[in-house]
Amino acid sequence: MATLTPTKRSGAQSPATERFYVEPDLEMRTATLAELLPDSVDSAFVANLLSAMLTHERCGVHLYRSVAGRTTEPDARAKYEEFGQQTLRHVEILEQLIASAGGNPNYVSFYARAVEATNSRILESTFALAGSTDLLTQEMSMLDAVLLAETIDHANWTTVAAIAELLPEGPLRSAFEAAVDEVEAQEDEHLGWAKETRQQLVLQLVTP
Amino acid sequence: MAFNPLDEQGLPLQAQFRNWNDLNVAPYDKDKVDPYTRTRVILMNGVEVEAIVFSHQFARNTDNPEIRNALALSRRVEQQQQKAVNGLNPGDQTPLETTIGFEQVAVDLTSWLARHEPDPMLKQALDFALLEDFDHLYRYANLYDLIDGGDATDLTGRLTEITPGRPTILEHRHPIDDVRGHYSTHTVDPLSRLHVMTIVAAEQNTMNFYMNHGTDWIEPIARGLYAEIAMIEEQHVTHYESLIDPLDTWLKQLVFHEYNEVYLYWSMLQQESDTRIRALWELHLDMEIGQLHAASALLRKFEGVDPEEILPPALPDVPLTFEPNKQYVRDILESQYDLRADGVRYVRLDELPDDHRYFEYQATVNAGGTPSETVIDETRSERGRDFRDESEGPNPIDSLRRMVEVKD
Repeated sequence: MATLTPTKRSGAQSPATERFYVEPDLEMRTATLAELLPDSVDSAFVANLLSAMLTHERCGVHLYRSVAGRTTEPDARAKYEEFGQQTLRHVEILEQLIASAGGNPNYVSFYARAVEATNSRILESTFALAGSTDLLTQEMSMLDAVLLAETIDHANWTTVAAIAELLPEGPLRSAFEAAVDEVEAQEDEHLGWAKETRQQLVLQLVTP
Repeated sequence: MAFNPLDEQGLPLQAQFRNWNDLNVAPYDKDKVDPYTRTRVILMNGVEVEAIVFSHQFARNTDNPEIRNALALSRRVEQQQQKAVNGLNPGDQTPLETTIGFEQVAVDLTSWLARHEPDPMLKQALDFALLEDFDHLYRYANLYDLIDGGDATDLTGRLTEITPGRPTILEHRHPIDDVRGHYSTHTVDPLSRLHVMTIVAAEQNTMNFYMNHGTDWIEPIARGLYAEIAMIEEQHVTHYESLIDPLDTWLKQLVFHEYNEVYLYWSMLQQESDTRIRALWELHLDMEIGQLHAASALLRKFEGVDPEEILPPALPDVPLTFEPNKQYVRDILESQYDLRADGVRYVRLDELPDDHRYFEYQATVNAGGTPSETVIDETRSERGRDFRDESEGPNPIDSLRRMVEVKD
């Protein structure tokens, strides 16, 4: 079962600094991350990146749950629910991929924290000003949030595919490729739908 | 047995309004009250004040009608809870007597939290400020003796020692040396989060109390001491609030606030000796569970996050407990008396370079005399000794011992 919010109980780890406290047993050291992947890539950087990508997917599940519950458009709701389920599966796939490399799927890198901050603020922007906006604006805002999230998401999976090519032949590279194979088409669909739906909605309103 | 407030129904938020009689509670008898009942009242008042202030700040950062309405509803109830709790303080308990209660809270709350804190950096933050609040108790006890002829042990019940800690005169730091690092919301132990939220609420209310009661006296020494220690409480709020991870959204923070209130009321009722007040803690526990459900519903709806994702499956096994911590305080005093802050680090006094901003700030604020020293000098002059309650022996730091032992 996928973890949507890593906690101490679920095995979360993070790097520590003198300004960022992590209990010693839960501290993730760069040296540990550096040993995960073959020398053909910067292992620690990729581990931090994968943590950020996984966080983005986790935030995506939260985003889809939120907008599916709040949209007044039945077609949009159906898509949000469908994409939310697929995004949940993407979380599982990334968790398995990280675990297959010997990593901890509940490791939260600095980059992951920044990604979470971005995503939570974007999600917040879809409801925080609901008192001074109309329903149409709220729908647009939710769609914008989905488009922004899916744009990053698509770029992330393109990156995963590129990283796979840098890995030597073997089980790890195969795991990366299998993950991309399962997810790629859905990411294309998510981004395509968000772009197209936004454009259709705007054009509908532009035309008198 | 594990207690998970999310599995409990609690009192529905809509059913939580009370009438004026419910809020105008009969106060405790200040001469008979268990000192730790007084500290529980002071702590829970501060926790309610924090809930209210947080809710107001949140409301100013959104115009979402559903969220604003929900905040207004729960905040009105929190306000009623605050009145019911704070109303337990009797009118014949002077502000200075209440102040000694505040400092007893600070000493025994901080000690207990530090003793149970899993994160060494958070424990260090607690230990560091503990010695400063411990010293405040000594300074106020002397003021009480000096201007009221009062015996502070009548208030503390000799459960908490009264002797110098890190002297208040030395606590004044440059503001940037009070800003700390913070925990990670993902790795933090649930107990640590509750500890930090609780100490922030307690210190904030102490700061507020001194900010507003510092002018209750005619005596310049009292006004001066309150002004000086109020500035340290500002330092402590800065110090402790720094420890909170700002990554959490407003709605998550709201859920954590409600959860902490559940934990604290549950803790208070475990140990309350006064059956009437125990019933109040029990009622408020039920109410907080209802408020937690309401906050959780907002989190679910607007952020798509289930409260179970961010909360532990049960309250901590150990209730937060007011109890004597005499030996613990002595141990920390002995080992950390000369600790100072240098940015986010804690260092020994002799590690600070001579041109450190600490010394410049010290010279500025202590120019022209320091009330926390004057109050001791005047008490010694009037009484022939300072006021202490050293039940466990002389102060562990040589320079803080009485020069001439007094036979009581």
